[in-house]
Amino acid sequence: MATARCCSVFLLAAVVCARLFAQSVVALPNRTDSVKFAAIGDNGTGDRPQYEVAQQMTRVHSRFPFNLVIMLGDNMYGGQNPSDFVKKFEQPYAELLAANVKFQASLGNHDRPENVSYGPYNMNGQRYYTFVRGNVRFFALDSTLMDPKQREWLEKALQDSHETWKVCYFHHPLYSNASRHGSSVDLRLVLEPIFLKYGVNVVFSGHDHVYERIKPQKGIYYFVSGAAGQLRKGNMRAAAETAASFDQDQSFMLIEVVGTEMTYQAMSRTGLVVDSGVIRLQTRATE
Amino acid sequence: MARRIRAWRAQVPRLLEFALEHLLALPIGASIALVWANTHPESYFQFTYAISFAVNDIAMVFFFALMTKEIVEATAPGGVLHPWHRAWLPVIAAVGATTVSALIHVRVVEALDEPALRVAWPATSGTDIALSYFVARIVSRGHSIVPFGLLLAIASDALGILAIALFQPVPDLHLVQGAMIMAAAIGIAAVLRRARVMSFWPYLLGAGCVSWYAFFRSGIHPALALVPIVPFLPHAARDPGFFVDARPDARDTLSHFEIVWRHPAQLALLLFGLVNAGVPFRALEPGTFGLPIAMIVGKPLGVLLGAGVAIAAGLHLPHHVGWRELIVVGFAAAIGFSVALFFSAALLPPGQLRAETSMGALLTLVAAPLALGSAKLLRVGRFGHS
Repeated sequence: MATARCCSVFLLAAVVCARLFAQSVVALPNRTDSVKFAAIGDNGTGDRPQYEVAQQMTRVHSRFPFNLVIMLGDNMYGGQNPSDFVKKFEQPYAELLAANVKFQASLGNHDRPENVSYGPYNMNGQRYYTFVRGNVRFFALDSTLMDPKQREWLEKALQDSHETWKVCYFHHPLYSNASRHGSSVDLRLVLEPIFLKYGVNVVFSGHDHVYERIKPQKGIYYFVSGAAGQLRKGNMRAAAETAASFDQDQSFMLIEVVGTEMTYQAMSRTGLVVDSGVIRLQTRATE
Repeated sequence: MARRIRAWRAQVPRLLEFALEHLLALPIGASIALVWANTHPESYFQFTYAISFAVNDIAMVFFFALMTKEIVEATAPGGVLHPWHRAWLPVIAAVGATTVSALIHVRVVEALDEPALRVAWPATSGTDIALSYFVARIVSRGHSIVPFGLLLAIASDALGILAIALFQPVPDLHLVQGAMIMAAAIGIAAVLRRARVMSFWPYLLGAGCVSWYAFFRSGIHPALALVPIVPFLPHAARDPGFFVDARPDARDTLSHFEIVWRHPAQLALLLFGLVNAGVPFRALEPGTFGLPIAMIVGKPLGVLLGAGVAIAAGLHLPHHVGWRELIVVGFAAAIGFSVALFFSAALLPPGQLRAETSMGALLTLVAAPLALGSAKLLRVGRFGHS
């Protein structure tokens, strides 16, 4: 009986230590010359969990000074009046914004199309656009309205890009094993051939309110990170293509690119690292 | 056996025959699509993407051509559109119906927290002409609400086509270029008509192909290619009636066109349902209900409003048509089904918005029992003594 009690106390202490350790460590290379960014999806609820995720991001930022946040859509739920932009964006991320962290948004189905003109989203009035950070070229897409013009633009932009890494992000996941929405197969058949043809390396999406890392599909790495405000607890139905997942709490992602290595970390609202790893630049030849 | 079938067919009421011939193709295609898209989505979308251009942009040309044929014949003596001024009140009612539905749609999808769906408002104009006619005929055969409902449906669809052309979410219009090519197509059709060419093939292969290219080039959906050409085909002096099949011995060009293309058009409609109605249920969100709510609430309200404006402007309602009949006609016009589905596909690229709008189009079928229920409640047609 005493032994069992001792074991319980020891286990509890170990869990608490692990949790504290996880909260205090940023397990990335954290190099000064690297490209560092965070990814948030489905965040704009204006509720407490969104604020807590934002606080966690701020805490991490003091030790891992990312200067970019990519937004994976559904940046705003419900009302989208000027006061909502304050409550659901400017207040929760106030410290990051004050630290000159740049947010680069893509829109989801809950966002008003006219939000492309909201200054702090840095979309410059465009539904889809591209930008560069170091050796990484980002492509922010509008998966809610994937029209032929946008596809043509994407092909041209990918063709013209010569950076080491090509990262696409948009709202609807091409691969997902959450039970609410799952994979957007109709979009996958449209976009995946383009990604393969022009050598896209990594894709980030939201929409399903969980975190999921998909095993590389035809050489491309896919992440679902749609729980930076919303959460569908217990919604994951891990399948053969699931590499890792987390659906017990809100989460966001930290990413660092050093040369040909991309290190990623998925972190919960409380600072628990729920997944991490390194992606080495794919060697597959582009067509 | 053949004699038995003939005897059975002779006993089948014409309305049931109409239902069998005109109303089953799309539901069958849509049902297959829904099952397939939700069980094997990868193979479903691979298949449908491969044939969608052939079905939506080419095969559907014949469906809309046959719809246009019904309208052209309706302008002949004895038709509901003869003389033209009879159409004014239903046209104004249609403007009311489409405007109110569109406004409701925009408000409802906002309220359902899917503002991105606002762009789908032109789909609320779509009325399934065959189904709304079928429902109106069930309510009453000889009643004035049948032609009134038909005119309303035709005008709504015409307004919808206009809205889709002018308010595309991602405009890519080349209207001047398209208009120039279209002028050539209409010129060819007019020359053929003047030369009294009785075979429909020169109209189809000459004027029709040029017209298709004009639509395609302009950015307007090319399935409408034969709509401006069909009126040039020589047709019968009197309207044989709406959705009355042409007699096998009919000699006029338009009837011959119908005899040849009637069944291919039904096949096109089946394939259209198969290609466009495959909506993965997991893609749906509350915004899906925006379209059916907008149409079911907006059409009867808009018809009443539009008719009120028309009456205030000095026009008169047809005999035996009052506010109760207008409500029933409004519900019948809220059946978007095939045309709303077409508008959804013409308006939106593949993805969540199209999935939700297409499912919304299928859900507008609810308006059929609502039309019949309201007829019973308001004692309209066969349910009353009005």
